[in-house]
Amino acid sequence: MGKKITIDPMTRIEGHLKIEVEIEDGKVKNAWSSGTMARGFEALLLGKDPRDASYVTSRFCGVCYSVHQICSARALDAAFGANVPWGGNLIRNLVMGAEYIYDHLIHFYQLSALDYIDIMAVANYTGKDRDLLAVKDKIVGLVKANDTFPLTPRYKPDEFSVKDPDMVISAVSHYIKALKMNAKARNMGAIWGGRTPHYQNIVVGGVTSYPDINQVARFRTMLDEQKKFVEEVYIPDVLAFGTGPLWPLAKMGVGGGHYNYLAYGDFPKDQKGKNLVFPAGVIIGLNPANIKVDPFNPDDITEAVKYSWYRENKPVHPYKGEQVFDLDKKDAYSFVKAPRYKNNAMEVGPMARMIVAKNPTLLDLVSKGAKPGAVARHAARAIETKLIVDACYTWLDELLTEMTKPGFRIHDTEHWDPPESGMGSGFHEAPRGALGHWVKVKNKKIDNYQCVVPSTWNASPRCENGVRGQYEESLIGAPVPDPENPINVVRIIRSFDPCLACAIHIIDPNTNEIRKFMIE
Amino acid sequence: MSEIPSPSQTNSKGGETISPQKIVILGVGNLLLSDEGFGVHVANELMKLDLPQGVSVVEGGTDGFRLIDTITEADRLIVVDAVKGGASPGTIYRFNIDEVQSCPSGFKTSVHQIGILEVINLSGLIGKTPHTIVIGIEPKSLEMGMELSPEIKARIPRIIELIKEELKRII
Repeated sequence: MGKKITIDPMTRIEGHLKIEVEIEDGKVKNAWSSGTMARGFEALLLGKDPRDASYVTSRFCGVCYSVHQICSARALDAAFGANVPWGGNLIRNLVMGAEYIYDHLIHFYQLSALDYIDIMAVANYTGKDRDLLAVKDKIVGLVKANDTFPLTPRYKPDEFSVKDPDMVISAVSHYIKALKMNAKARNMGAIWGGRTPHYQNIVVGGVTSYPDINQVARFRTMLDEQKKFVEEVYIPDVLAFGTGPLWPLAKMGVGGGHYNYLAYGDFPKDQKGKNLVFPAGVIIGLNPANIKVDPFNPDDITEAVKYSWYRENKPVHPYKGEQVFDLDKKDAYSFVKAPRYKNNAMEVGPMARMIVAKNPTLLDLVSKGAKPGAVARHAARAIETKLIVDACYTWLDELLTEMTKPGFRIHDTEHWDPPESGMGSGFHEAPRGALGHWVKVKNKKIDNYQCVVPSTWNASPRCENGVRGQYEESLIGAPVPDPENPINVVRIIRSFDPCLACAIHIIDPNTNEIRKFMIE
Repeated sequence: MSEIPSPSQTNSKGGETISPQKIVILGVGNLLLSDEGFGVHVANELMKLDLPQGVSVVEGGTDGFRLIDTITEADRLIVVDAVKGGASPGTIYRFNIDEVQSCPSGFKTSVHQIGILEVINLSGLIGKTPHTIVIGIEPKSLEMGMELSPEIKARIPRIIELIKEELKRII
């Protein structure tokens, strides 16, 4: 029996996740991934007007609200028989495209970068660049004032950590720049969404508000600035790190997992949705030399609950899913269910999308020796950010063209009223990965509602066949020479951009003296 | 963090004394977890009122990072949220953000991830950290549900009074 270590909670991820690993001979021998918070917001929707779903589901999560909104609207589109006009789809694409840009930037700089650099190396910077010296002063000042959150707490840098002062200080300055870019990017979605957070415009049938030329121009100006940052800072950083100091980690393929990939596909390039920016597809057991992509069939999804705190049930399709908790269940260790595709545990997210798309930039890195794993995941994320930025320009141009056409429409108003009964599924490639909503309507009300979120795929526990989820499998074999400092475990899990349970937002100050602030 | 002078702090205010200070009331919380959504309910009520010039109300939902521009643009911030202090439900708290230790002191002790207090802290890295007051309420229920508990809902008028008093002190 190896030494067991537990990381709970993982910090700098969004949500509540516990990872347990068993270490033997300096490597991970076994792993368990647990969602430690009950989900089940779906229950709130039962009996409601189906049109409420896109608003209510956008409150599921504080980070990726719009992804639920669009996925929900698409499930309702299907259930209502609505046919979203191309103008509506273009605006939906633009809202979600903006979402990608800031999600991926935050993930790389704010949530992940600190796993790969020794931040304290900034103190050794001896260059003369004034901006970088200001960064050095700032960080050193914070350290002296003993106030280094969020740069700490951290795991101890290991042999893979970047310690070169010039590289580290440049990364830290980009960390700060990315925060600024993020503050700006936030308003891009609001141009169409009417407000932020929690946009208002995406509803069943299309979107609610006609665009004007000023909105298009404002979006384009903001997009220009993001494009510059993505092309001149983000992508070069990812490449410089990934093919430089982190190349050994990339070649080892730390964090590979099952090598099964699933993409629902998204971002229609035309009204019929035949051509997508991110194609749909399934890969079981990747062979990089000969990538075989099967078509995706939603009917092949099932969710197992054998090791989850839900009432015992056979694996069922999400249409038949239920949310009845059983907290005393033997062997259960997670609030996350175990979705499987034809009984296979799958990876979803940027790397799945880029491999399914046979993206030449990513495959080039693979052919040079990078194995799909934690480092490649960061590369895939950066690559697809650029694809989305470029697509946003196309959509803006097309929207301008559409706007000049007589009878320009953004909404299928004929299908606004709920049907007596119906069912529909909606899919979206959220920044974190494949997201699906399934709705059943009866007597014009919601009769059942189920979501399978990206982190449910990636963070799933074992299924009834004992097959580990993708996080769990990706940890097997990871080097952990010092059980006190499981930095590779953290790197691997974080590379997936974990998000679980979504947004408990309560202030719970770390002090026992909070009562002294009672005023009445 | 606000004590540490930084170039951006001086820039952000330099020479702009003519314009009134920008005050933001930020209501946060998860609308789906009953009293956890308190700040959101309060923000929605405040939006119906005539507030003094220079005061804006933001319903932040469960957002974290993306509120950073709202935060850095504010000179003064009043955060309204549920606060778990262990007192009886409905208890109202008021504190300056500097008075509480908001940063996770270790991986094991962090109870939440990038939350609103952390983002306020982070704002100092890219601009200024606004002077921040938190007005909070001890929740009764954090169960799933879109309504506030009756006794928590009944506290909304009092909270709004307190916010108005706060504004009078500032302006």
